[in-house]
Amino acid sequence: MIVKEWCMYCGECAGVCPRNLIEVRELTLKFNEDQCKECSLCIQVCPVKALQEDK
Amino acid sequence: MLIETDILVIGAGPAGSTAAKHAAEGGARVLMMDKKSEIGAPKRCAEGVSNGGLESLGIEKNPRWITKELDGVRLISPNRTDVWLTSDKIDLPEAGCILERKVFDKYMAMDAARAGAQIKIKTLATGMEKTDDGYLVSAESMGESFQVKAKIVIAADGPESRVARWGGLNTTAKPKDMESAAQFEMAGVEMENNNCIEFYFGSVAPGGYAWIFPKGDDIANVGLGILATKTDKTAYEHLLEFVASNPATENAQPVELNIGGDPVGGMPKKLATDNLMVIGDAAGQVNPLTGGGIISGMTGGMIAGKVAVEAISEGDLSRKKLKKYEDECQEAIGKSINKYLKVKDYMLTLNDSELDSIAEAFQDVEFEKVSTTELVRKLVKVSPKALLKLGKLF
Repeated sequence: MIVKEWCMYCGECAGVCPRNLIEVRELTLKFNEDQCKECSLCIQVCPVKALQEDK
Repeated sequence: MLIETDILVIGAGPAGSTAAKHAAEGGARVLMMDKKSEIGAPKRCAEGVSNGGLESLGIEKNPRWITKELDGVRLISPNRTDVWLTSDKIDLPEAGCILERKVFDKYMAMDAARAGAQIKIKTLATGMEKTDDGYLVSAESMGESFQVKAKIVIAADGPESRVARWGGLNTTAKPKDMESAAQFEMAGVEMENNNCIEFYFGSVAPGGYAWIFPKGDDIANVGLGILATKTDKTAYEHLLEFVASNPATENAQPVELNIGGDPVGGMPKKLATDNLMVIGDAAGQVNPLTGGGIISGMTGGMIAGKVAVEAISEGDLSRKKLKKYEDECQEAIGKSINKYLKVKDYMLTLNDSELDSIAEAFQDVEFEKVSTTELVRKLVKVSPKALLKLGKLF
């Protein structure tokens, strides 16, 4: 997952991640990519379009 | 390093601090951790609360964290028909106020500290494992890793709600149940009446609503919540459009941007399991219609804190014992959340012209008090469709 520079670490993506794979720190966002099934819900709910699939 | 405690509260928002305070007051050893460097910042909230709600929690209002006392509500339909509910027209206004969350949240944490709770900030829980007598929680703070051994974990980690899920509770929010919100705090806002909070309905905020909450003088929180399932634009894009097109904000300037998720799908059935309870936004303790969750989350926190103390003093940390929290929560806030869930679902079925008709019909209605319940009661009177769906509930 590409996290854009303007991410505000609000954690909404983590809340909808069905597999609980997103760790939100104060100034970083870490995805457990190994277990991600690319459902894209995190991308869909982001209030500022800060997430982009890494393809 | 290993820290032992009776109760570990993860997350120091209002719900977590309230749980920590009540648990510490009851004599338990309490540790509360928050991943942020400043409790209360950044805010993810429009900051409105009812005075009755604060009272019910035994919290005395403090001018240091109140920015504005409110006098009423203005509702605005898509074609700008407005409905005023103000104290000059209504006998029993349910008064409320606008907080300064950055100060309020700190004060709630300070109350927890004064009651005896220990606080660790800039400390992130990174995982947890079940032990025979509780949980072993891994945490990191400023480059140091350590573990906390707790008899009871209270998960108060907000809409992310990761902690409860580590413990096997299903608190994942579906996108259709998660409002995506964006807000500016602005100066130069020209409201018609800056003693009233304003709600804007319709396609301005698909699946939610837009708001202007005054914070004194020409300052206001201007924001909106949308459902990502109802629009292709982001909350932020809708916010820019709203601000540019609204007469109150077209000349205003932002001094802060807030974004975040608000779980509006109601509470999960299970809020407690052996050695674990979930509270606040993490537990969906939010009015699904308004998105407001300060008072309900703190109510959940108060109940959880008290039940935790009881469980520890009785030496019974099982789900059977902690279910008392779940039951009391259902009674205190769950019933109301379930009712408003129905109202929210109904509101989602209305298009702009139906909202305009309701606003029109409201022009001749005399409201008896300023409250969400009263509004729904009157809605049922003016709309046959609403009567059909909600008549039995209100």
